[in-house]
Amino acid sequence: MSKGFASSFRLVLLASAVLISFGSVGVRLVHLHVLDRERLVSYVDRARKSVFTEQARRGDIMDVRGDVLATSRTVIQLGVDPHMLREEDRGQWPQLAELIDLPLAGLTGIFNRTERVTAEGETRLVRWAKLVDEVEESTYATIQDLGIKGVYGNRSYRRTYPRGQLAAHLVGFLNRANQPSGGVESFADFYLRGQDGWRETEKDGRRREMAQFRDREVPANDGFSVVLSIDSMVQYLIETELAYMGETYTPAKASIIVSDAESGFILGLANYPTYDLNEYGRVPIEIQRNTAVTDLLDPGSTFKIVAAAAALERGLVTPQTRFNCSIDSIEFEGRVRKFMPDDHPYDHPLSVAEIISQSSNIGAAQLGMTLGEKGMYDAARQFGFGEPSGFPLGYESRGLLNPPSQWSALEITRIPAGYSVSATPMQIHYSMATIASGGELLRPQVVKEIRDARGEAVYDFGGVARRRVLQPEVARQMALMLLGVTEEGTAKAAAIEGYEVAGKTGTAQKLVDGRYSKRHHVGSFVGFFPASDPQVVITVIVDDARLPGGRINYGSAVAVPAFRRIAEQLISYLDIKPVVTPETRPRLAMEGLRW
Amino acid sequence: MAVNLRTPLEVFSVFKLTTRERWDIGTPLVIATLSVIGVAFIYSAQYSVAASSWKMQIVWLVAGILIYVATSLVDYRFWLRVIHWFYGGCILLLLLVLFFGVERYGAQRWLSLGGFSLQPSEPAKAAVLLVAATILMREKVGTVAQSLGVLGKLALAVGIPMVLILLQPDLKSVIVLPPMVFSMLYVSRLSTRFFVGALAAFMVVMGTVAWDASRYIKFMEENDYSYVRDRGKYEPHSWVPFKDYQRNRIISFTNPDKIDPMGISWNQRQSLISVGSGGLLGKGWTEGTQAQLGYLPRAVAHNDFIFSVIAEEKGLLGSLTVLSLFGLMLFNGIRIAGLARDRFGTLIALGVTVLFSVHVFVNIAMTIGLVPITGIPLPFISYGGSFLLSCCLLQGLVQSVYRFRKDFT
Repeated sequence: MSKGFASSFRLVLLASAVLISFGSVGVRLVHLHVLDRERLVSYVDRARKSVFTEQARRGDIMDVRGDVLATSRTVIQLGVDPHMLREEDRGQWPQLAELIDLPLAGLTGIFNRTERVTAEGETRLVRWAKLVDEVEESTYATIQDLGIKGVYGNRSYRRTYPRGQLAAHLVGFLNRANQPSGGVESFADFYLRGQDGWRETEKDGRRREMAQFRDREVPANDGFSVVLSIDSMVQYLIETELAYMGETYTPAKASIIVSDAESGFILGLANYPTYDLNEYGRVPIEIQRNTAVTDLLDPGSTFKIVAAAAALERGLVTPQTRFNCSIDSIEFEGRVRKFMPDDHPYDHPLSVAEIISQSSNIGAAQLGMTLGEKGMYDAARQFGFGEPSGFPLGYESRGLLNPPSQWSALEITRIPAGYSVSATPMQIHYSMATIASGGELLRPQVVKEIRDARGEAVYDFGGVARRRVLQPEVARQMALMLLGVTEEGTAKAAAIEGYEVAGKTGTAQKLVDGRYSKRHHVGSFVGFFPASDPQVVITVIVDDARLPGGRINYGSAVAVPAFRRIAEQLISYLDIKPVVTPETRPRLAMEGLRW
Repeated sequence: MAVNLRTPLEVFSVFKLTTRERWDIGTPLVIATLSVIGVAFIYSAQYSVAASSWKMQIVWLVAGILIYVATSLVDYRFWLRVIHWFYGGCILLLLLVLFFGVERYGAQRWLSLGGFSLQPSEPAKAAVLLVAATILMREKVGTVAQSLGVLGKLALAVGIPMVLILLQPDLKSVIVLPPMVFSMLYVSRLSTRFFVGALAAFMVVMGTVAWDASRYIKFMEENDYSYVRDRGKYEPHSWVPFKDYQRNRIISFTNPDKIDPMGISWNQRQSLISVGSGGLLGKGWTEGTQAQLGYLPRAVAHNDFIFSVIAEEKGLLGSLTVLSLFGLMLFNGIRIAGLARDRFGTLIALGVTVLFSVHVFVNIAMTIGLVPITGIPLPFISYGGSFLLSCCLLQGLVQSVYRFRKDFT
């Protein structure tokens, strides 16, 4: 090289400069490839791996005949990625605006907004802007045919209640956060919600999922359907009756319960006031409460069946045992106890059957005394008072029934008549249902069956008896006595020719400011029919109905006619056969049940 | 009638096929290897999108081989005779592109020639090299005082095309020229003082710009200003006569994390990940996830960032192989510069070698995060017709210097 034109020193210097720069590149390459590898590779995985969830469809809630009360509808939310829009699609914009019923200016505004400023003042690209919350499947197909790149929909499920307010207090609803609130939605959420699926997958540089790189995939398991024991027709019937009552008598509240006499399954349960499940947000929370299990009232006369049935069960009395009901006090366990007065005096001692049919407070108290304080208390507990009924949906009040140790001198005269004791309409209903079932205290059940997504039953609920309270014979005697209530007692208006309606009226003064009010009453009628072969049990409880002329809301005034209307419709709807009348009357006479 | 055969044959007399039968085979072998690697990884970079740039690259390579062979066969001194035409032609093309060029990515760099497009800045590099070598060969170079005339000429000859290219604007094609010209001046035995002075001036200018830019960044951030919305707010605070939008351009070049209008910091980040995830032996040809899945943006994976594709798919082994091949080529270039027995030959061989060094170094260094991102391609490997042809022409010149050098044997 020394012979060359250029000085070899200068050439070597240049060569060294090249060597050094290449050397630094080489060192850096080793560093990246070998030493920094871990960190860089982990970044690759983090950027690429992601877990997509696949929403499971929530199961339906159906009535016993398969009518859908709650369902999940597929909805398509339409949106746009403003960065994917192409100029050549602009001609289709007006058509799209028309299809989704959005002014073109509004649509163009959304399309042109490609950036947004976050709360921290950073500018971010808008990759998804909502156009409409919900488009129909067919409309979406038309929109896709327009071929506007960047406009696309996301499918999701929305909970709807096709029957609106029907069985609102039983069904419950799914709130905006998709959390169940009350009713079957909450109770059966485990079955209804299903299992969201997920897939772990990789995304490409534009964050699109790449199906070929799916690592693991777990498909969504749609939720199970829940079949209720509720019959929409029965439910509709009682809700119509409640609406009529609400309009006519403007009560503070009212509840109607209809259950199957044999199994205890609830066929219908409704409260007044009620609400539309699709518009749950617009009603106050009190209206969403299922007052039939949450609210307490003094049962009043309907409670008299407890003392009578228990006294019969223990053999302390027979239906013909008579009590003097013309006295105003009696000595019991060494103390003189004053009775609650009856509405009118009786000219002869009343048999047990008459105490029930005439609803004598004095007679009921003496039946209680026959049982003794502890016996009375035990009987009430046996009939389900003071303990939760086992109704599955939502909060349930256990009622108020003090043990004898806390009783004052008056309790033994009050409790047998249904005062100084508080119960829910559900407890009152099932105490009567105990007689209708032939002596077993049943559990109020509303969920009949769980079905998987293919419609096959995965769980079938049967009737559950909580315990035997009465021997069948005693229950039969009680049923006949209760038949007397409508045949010749306080609720003649409830009688339906040929159907042996058995039941008991109740009228309780309401506690207002700690004192029993003379103006505010809870009227009720609890009954079942036919007495010799009970089919359905119906409870009607009306709190503080306003009667024309300021009449008192006796059980017979509002509840009995309502009961009768419901009973008549149920007879034709459920096709309940009449009992041959001629046999009934002689039998009643034979057993000395006639007054 | 006597036929004058001499005149038509004179045209071909520049191809001295028989007079010199020696060939440097090292560089052509390296070029061939690099070209094959290039085609293979252009194919791989576009594998997932099934584009066929690799076929086009083969077409360009065939044309490149013809140009390389032709240039090798021509005595490099031939260019002394035609340099004014060549240079003038390139200037004309650069002017044409400013007025009739095709605009892509916000710059007017291409001339459309029927089926394909030409980037006039590529042949202009060769023209600048040859014109600088011609000037330095003909004029006496010595102390700074003695060389003022030649330096002036050189500044003019190199400056005109540089300004024209800057107007496109194409900064990256311009910044490779000064190192080449300075190296040529250096081996022309220009006084060391000049280089010390030039370096000092360079340092002062760069230092001022850097100081001003960092003050600008600090000012904007302290006041919580946006670089885009609050343009102009810094101007009254600085005596450096830049506009803020020009500062933004400097910053987007040096600090893409601050201003990144083209999203290039993403490219560099993904490029680093590509290289690192390649490991020792790589993920395998067409198996590199960074490139295949488009993390390494598809628009640049087969040209400016082809090296990251190689590094990802062939690992350290592959990237060092490519680097070594370039090393071989460049040292062979410097060797040939040393072998040449006249100034012109030395200057050509050296200029070409430095030009290639800058391309290779800047391209690889940007993919591995050593220098800011510039769109400088990798010779013989990156996709691109004009660039490949100009590389073949330049290496053909070096081969010619090797073949037609004078011998004193």
